[in-house]
Amino acid sequence: MSNKPRKFRGGVHPNDSKALSAASPIQDAPLLDKYTVIVHQNIGAPPEVLVKKGDEVKKGALLAKASGFVSAPLHAPTSGTVTAVDKCDGPTGLRVAAIEIRADGEDEWGSPFEPITDWQNADAADLKQRVSDAGVVGMGGAGFPSHVKLSPPAGKEIDTLILNGAECEPYLTADHRLMLEQAEDVVVGAAILARILGLKSAVIGVENNKPDAIEALKKAAAKTNVTVQGLPVNYPQGAEKQLIYTLTGREVPIGGLPMDVGCVVQNVASAVAVNDAVVKGHPSIERITTVTGEPLVNPGNWRFRLGTPISKAIELAGGVKVQPAKLLLGGPMMGFAQNSLDVTVMKNTSGILLIPAEQVSQYTSDPCIRCGKCVSCCPMGILPATISQAVENERFDLAAQLNVLACIECGSCSYVCPSRRPLNQHFKRAKAEIMAARKKK
Amino acid sequence: MTIILVSLLFAALLGAILALIIGVAAKAFAVESDPRIETVTDMLPGANCGGCGYAGCADFAKAIVEGVAPPNDCPVASAEATVRVADYMGITSEEKEKVVAVVRCSGGISDTVRSPYNGVEDCRSAVLVAGGAKGCDYGCIGFASCARACPFDAIEIRDGLAVVHPDLCVGCGKCVDVCPKDLIILTPAAVDVHVYCNSPEKGAAKRKVCKTACIGCRKCVKASDSEDQMLIDGFLIATNYNNPPLPDLVEKAACPTTALRLATQHAAGAYEGVSK
Amino acid sequence: MADNILAITIGAILVNNFVLSKFLGICPFLGVSKKLSTALGMSGAVVFVMTLSSLVTSLIYKFVLSKSFTINGTAVNLSFLKILVFIVVIASLVQLVEIVLQKFSPPLYQALGIFLPLITTNCAVLGAAELNVQAGRGVLASTIYGFCSALGFALALVLFSSLREKLDLARVPVPLQGTAIGLITAGILAMVFMGFSGLV
Repeated sequence: MSNKPRKFRGGVHPNDSKALSAASPIQDAPLLDKYTVIVHQNIGAPPEVLVKKGDEVKKGALLAKASGFVSAPLHAPTSGTVTAVDKCDGPTGLRVAAIEIRADGEDEWGSPFEPITDWQNADAADLKQRVSDAGVVGMGGAGFPSHVKLSPPAGKEIDTLILNGAECEPYLTADHRLMLEQAEDVVVGAAILARILGLKSAVIGVENNKPDAIEALKKAAAKTNVTVQGLPVNYPQGAEKQLIYTLTGREVPIGGLPMDVGCVVQNVASAVAVNDAVVKGHPSIERITTVTGEPLVNPGNWRFRLGTPISKAIELAGGVKVQPAKLLLGGPMMGFAQNSLDVTVMKNTSGILLIPAEQVSQYTSDPCIRCGKCVSCCPMGILPATISQAVENERFDLAAQLNVLACIECGSCSYVCPSRRPLNQHFKRAKAEIMAARKKK
Repeated sequence: MTIILVSLLFAALLGAILALIIGVAAKAFAVESDPRIETVTDMLPGANCGGCGYAGCADFAKAIVEGVAPPNDCPVASAEATVRVADYMGITSEEKEKVVAVVRCSGGISDTVRSPYNGVEDCRSAVLVAGGAKGCDYGCIGFASCARACPFDAIEIRDGLAVVHPDLCVGCGKCVDVCPKDLIILTPAAVDVHVYCNSPEKGAAKRKVCKTACIGCRKCVKASDSEDQMLIDGFLIATNYNNPPLPDLVEKAACPTTALRLATQHAAGAYEGVSK
Repeated sequence: MADNILAITIGAILVNNFVLSKFLGICPFLGVSKKLSTALGMSGAVVFVMTLSSLVTSLIYKFVLSKSFTINGTAVNLSFLKILVFIVVIASLVQLVEIVLQKFSPPLYQALGIFLPLITTNCAVLGAAELNVQAGRGVLASTIYGFCSALGFALALVLFSSLREKLDLARVPVPLQGTAIGLITAGILAMVFMGFSGLV
């Protein structure tokens, strides 16, 4: 592997606004008296709920078990009583199933897992089982169950493990602080993941705008086989396919997965969750989330338990000094707009972002002026302008022909479009329609 | 005179030769086609709406001639037209009950607003990002995907709510397929009483997001003539289309949220602004 | 001879394009240009009909119609039957194409619809035959001219249908939708082809 990172095609350079929260150390969010844990926190099948109203649960107790291979179990964020298994406001705007737990204040661990302190000599299959049992999912945003990525099908040779510490989304600093403050855990997590895959080494990719994190990781990784690689600053550097290209020069084929080119990519926060699961025996019940945005009094990074409502997170950040106009879960490029403060923190909630009114435009989109900006910035090399016109005319056959399925929904095209066309939403629609049509067949 | 004769002779000769070539070719490359298909196609409405399940009227005509589909599968054709096709084919056709579409939601923007929506004005696009501007997860999004799909202009968007005009609707079912919320059902045209709500949530939860939701109070069930005219499913009540209530039920029941409506009156806008 | 053929070829395809320069055959040009696939099918049919009709008509003209002979002491020259004979030949060829297409490509037959029999009255086909006579071309030159003119027609049709497929995705003002914007596009395309004038 060459050490010089390449630059992937396209990309944009939005104002990153990370200074708002980058200097704020991770704080543990105080124990609340109520948590509403959303059941379906992973891509794939929703887990099967095991508890019912009135059950007493200990911290880390299994709330729901995986219901298939591509699924992840869910554990109790604290000890207490299950007060309801009902619906709550979900991050996509729809109401979703959730388990409500009233904390007893003891915060007492049950006994879910035996720590595997001697992981260097442990069986790879046992380690993988632990990752699966602990419910670790991709914490970068997608929520893809980690153990699935660690189980390449026969015939797919994996030779590279990449840890994704790019954190290219503007505003977000959760991974940055994590790499800075828990560098050791990241490195150990990487080593465990490498052991599961039967690899000797791993590489951690970090954007060059976080020199302190790179420094910390390099120090922690000094005597290990884990290397740290600075990456050029370019959105979406943290997208899987772009990251693989930057570090290895390999291009994931259209419709393919990283494992098709011998790579496995895991988020650094997931690596820490793996470390916690194996070394400490803790299931994935908390995550570090950036609560940020200009309207907040004290933006910063907190370690939240799953099920913490957004309203509480905003309270912790000192509340607002001006009325925000928009609330996003995730970053400004790929995040989802929310309309309820009752949505709770999930395993993939990397950020809670408030945007003031002057930065939110109530626009109407204009016709495409064929400037080609979207084409030159698209990191996947597809034609956003043409595809969006096809979608507007409901020509999904044409959109499929133009490879809309290769779109990674990074939002770069929508960001640069001078006509403010809702390109990204068009592609979401096209992908959904094409997948539905294929399923029908 | 000679010139005329020679001309005629030459023209006749040329014609004969060409006719021979074409005749041979027509014999050699003959395609068997049933002339009845074309006749039946002409008898059909020609809307090419696909309501019969075939790709256009010509395809349906082919199915009729082949005996695969009965003529009354066409939801658009009038009863007389169907009988005409059946007579031509020498088969008897039962008259099919006419159906119309009903959008099972009564929540206009003014009844159930949640937050501003700024994106593609299309229901199927809106459900992918936060689900549009309205508060109810189950209700009409109001971006007219169904109205655009309707080949007969029978759906009107009024106050961000899709309203079917029963007199224009032929029941082809195109709108049923495009609604991302599965709100639209085909109901017997003879039935006028419908519950314009599709949310299975608890009454209080529904009431919080929508003024015109069915809260499951069962007033209509009690007011109906016989027990099973209105069906209760959890917190939602629906018309029993196998044993439908009479139109006067709406007045008798005095639905507190006006979710119980007459389709004809609903289309005429009689319930606008009456919700409390 | 070779020079002459090259001149005919380039002249017929680009410089004196039947559709965009001579404005012959506009009806199928507008009618079957909505989709590239049908345009290609139509082009194939026209190429076939035009080449063959040029060959046959020039043969008939050379060996029968242009000859003067004496019968019963009266001098006879049948060249006045030119148009009548040409159109009969063209009509027969179109019939032939129709029969073959219906047998071997029913979808294309369906898609071309009324425009297939209308090749008969396509002035481009008759025009090619007539122009051959006017220019006094021999049988080989006539056939090449017919074939190349048809290629020119095909080129125009394919270009135009590709443009119209793009136009399908564009937002066209309501009064200009359909044939109106099609004619505007055709006009611009014709202006583009003016750039070839003087080439031969």
